Amino acid sequence: MAASIALARQITRVNINNTKICRLSTVCTDGAFCNASLKRYSDVAPSRSDPEPDVVESHNETLSNAQAHYRYIFPEILPNPDSTRRNKVCEMLERNDMMNRRSVLEIPEFYVGSILAVTASDKYAAGNTSRFVGICIDRGGCGLRAWFILRNVIDDQGIEIMYEMYSPMIREIQMLKLEKRLDESLLYLRDAPNEYSTFDFDMAEVPHVAGDHVPINPLKVKLRSRPWLERYERQDLKGVEDLGLAQKFYDRAKQLATPWEKYDIMKQYRATVTAEDQDEVFRDIHEKQQQIEQARIVRRRRKKLQSNR
Amino acid sequence: MAASMRRLLPGNCGRFIQNVLPNERLLESRYSKSHGNTFQRTLPYVQFRMTHSPNTPAPWWTKKLDTSAPEDLTSDNEAFLQDMVEEKYSVDSPLKEGPWERADWTPRSVRCGLICRKIGVIPQWLNNGKKFYTTLLQVADNHVIRYTPPEINRERRRGSRTPNFGIQVVGADSADPRLFKAEYLGLFQEAGVMPKHHLSRFFVTRDAVIQPGTQLNAMHFSVGDFVDCQARTIDHGYQGVVKKWGMKGGPASHGATKFHRKMGATGGGGNMARIWPGKKMPGHMGNEWRILKGLKIWRINTKYNVLYVHGPCVPGPHHCYVRVMDTILPLRKRKGDGPKPPFPTWFADDYKDQEIPEEIFDESLHRFTASSIEFEEEK
Repeated sequence: MAASIALARQITRVNINNTKICRLSTVCTDGAFCNASLKRYSDVAPSRSDPEPDVVESHNETLSNAQAHYRYIFPEILPNPDSTRRNKVCEMLERNDMMNRRSVLEIPEFYVGSILAVTASDKYAAGNTSRFVGICIDRGGCGLRAWFILRNVIDDQGIEIMYEMYSPMIREIQMLKLEKRLDESLLYLRDAPNEYSTFDFDMAEVPHVAGDHVPINPLKVKLRSRPWLERYERQDLKGVEDLGLAQKFYDRAKQLATPWEKYDIMKQYRATVTAEDQDEVFRDIHEKQQQIEQARIVRRRRKKLQSNR
Repeated sequence: MAASMRRLLPGNCGRFIQNVLPNERLLESRYSKSHGNTFQRTLPYVQFRMTHSPNTPAPWWTKKLDTSAPEDLTSDNEAFLQDMVEEKYSVDSPLKEGPWERADWTPRSVRCGLICRKIGVIPQWLNNGKKFYTTLLQVADNHVIRYTPPEINRERRRGSRTPNFGIQVVGADSADPRLFKAEYLGLFQEAGVMPKHHLSRFFVTRDAVIQPGTQLNAMHFSVGDFVDCQARTIDHGYQGVVKKWGMKGGPASHGATKFHRKMGATGGGGNMARIWPGKKMPGHMGNEWRILKGLKIWRINTKYNVLYVHGPCVPGPHHCYVRVMDTILPLRKRKGDGPKPPFPTWFADDYKDQEIPEEIFDESLHRFTASSIEFEEEK
C-alpha cells in the first residue's frame, strides 16, 4: 500500500502492543509525545461528552451567542490555566499568531471522535506531501502548542500521528465526519480490536450543516482482554462495553476512586480559566474570527461554482 | 579581556580572594555575590564555596520601601497627595543638560543592557518547518538613571576588576512615589524620572554612555543579535539530593529500610578519609544568579517592546526581571565589518521620518500570515 510505505518512512518510535505510536518527524520536533505540562483540553473547557447546548447560557448578556460557543469550537485559544504562568501581553501576542494562522489555514471545528484527513508537507514523502486519515483520539495543549492525535490501522498495524495544530507544515485539515464520542479521550482504542479504528483513506466526506448540533456516536467498544496499556477499569469510561474483569479489579478501582473531587471547587478553579477571562479572550478574537468565517464561506461558494461548471 | 571582565558578576562559583582584609572578606562573602560589589585585589583563582547568595540588600544601600504604617488619611488628603504626585511627575521631564555627545560604535565598545520581564515561552517555526521555543522578554519601562564614569568608579571600588568601565544604572517599571522612602526617591532626581521598582547596573565603555533620563526600548537590540540573559533562577528552597543533584536514591522496596531518597556514601577511606570539599549534599536549591549566553533574537514586537529570544531556558520564573545584554561570546558578537548596532542606544528622534513596523521578523522565521510551508520537488 503506497500510503503505508510513505507513512512508514515518517514513523519513528515504539511498538507497544501492536500499536506504533509515532510522530511525524518533520512536524513534531519538541521530542515529547505527550507533554505532561500541557494542559488537557478537558481542563479548560466543559466536558466534551456533555452535549453542546443549542443556546449557550452566558453569564454576560453582552456576549453574543456565537462568542459563547467559541469555547467548544476552539478550546486551545484559552490560555494555560496555571495562574503563575499567565501574562496578558504574552497571551495576546500568542493569540494574534494563532488567528493569523487560522486566517491562512482553515482549521475546522472538531472533537475527539471526529474523523479527519490531514495533509502535511513532508520532505521525504513522494510529492513532498503526506495525507493521513484517522480518528481523533485525543487533543490538548494551549495556544500555539495545541496538538491532536489521529489514529488509523494500516495493514493490521495501528498508526498514530500527533499533529501540531498551528504548525506551518500542515497544508490542509479536512473534516470527514464531525461527531463526538462518549468519552473525552479515546486512548483505549489502542487496546480495542483493529476494526474500531480502521478508516478508509478514500472515505467520502459526511456532510454537516454548519450550526447544526454535533451528533454523539453512542458506540460502545469491546476491548481485547488484558494486558492493556492502561487500567481502564479505573477511568470510569462510558464508551466501552463490560470489561469482563474479576471482582478484585473493580474493588481496587473503587478504593482508589476520588468521587469527591468533582465537588472540589478550588481544584476546578485552578484548572480552568474563569468565565470573565474567557469572555475577554473571545471578545478579543471575535472580529477576526468573523472575517475568517466570511472568507471561508466565500471560498466554499467559489469552489462549488467551479465544480458545477 | 576587558569585555569579558565585565561579566564577572554575581553567581560565579569561584572568585579572586587574596590579600583581602579579614573584615572585607567577611563582607564579601555575605554581600558581594548577590550585588556584584567586589573587593578583589589580585588575580589568582581560588574556588569559593559559600551558601547561596542572600536576598537581603546590603546595609549600606539606600533604604527602599516605606513600610511605615499608613496614616489615616481623609479622602481629601488622599486626593491632595495624588494631585501633588501628578503635578510633580506628570510633566515630561526634559533632559537637564543638552544631549550628550555621541560616539561611533567600535568592536571594542560595550553597550548598556536592558531590564526585561520574562512573560512567557511559546513555540515558533522556521521556514524549513523546524519548531523551536522562544522566550518572550518584555522591556519593562526602562530609563537610564545614573552614570558613573570610570575614574570615580575606580576611586570608589578600589581593586575593581572593571577599572576602565563606567557604570550605567538602569531602572525598570515606574511606580507610585508614595511607596518609597525619601532617600530612595532621591536616586531619581538626577534623571528626572518616576521612581522605579527595580534598579540594575551595567558596565559600559566610555563611548557607550547614555544620558540619564533617556528611555530604553526593545529597538536597542535588532533581530538577529545574540544576547546574554542573566537572572536569578527559580527558588526551590531546601531540597534533598534527588531533586537538587539528580542522585538516584534507593529502591522503593526489596527490604530498603529508611533508604529511599538518600545520597549513599560520602567518601572513601585511606589517605583522604574524609568528606571532600565540594561534595554534593542537600541544601538550598535555586535563587542563584545565572547567565545564559548567546541567545538569538528571532523577532521583535515594537509596539509592546517584546523580544523573542531563542530557547525555553532563560533563567528565572515567569514574571522575573532578566538582564539582557549584548553577548560576549566571541563568535556571536558583532564584528567590526558587519552592520553597526544603534549606538549608544536607539533614539526615536533619529527615525522620525521612518515608519517602524510593529513586528520585525528574522528572515528564516516563519510568519503566521504566510501560507503553509511547501517543499520543492528535488530534481
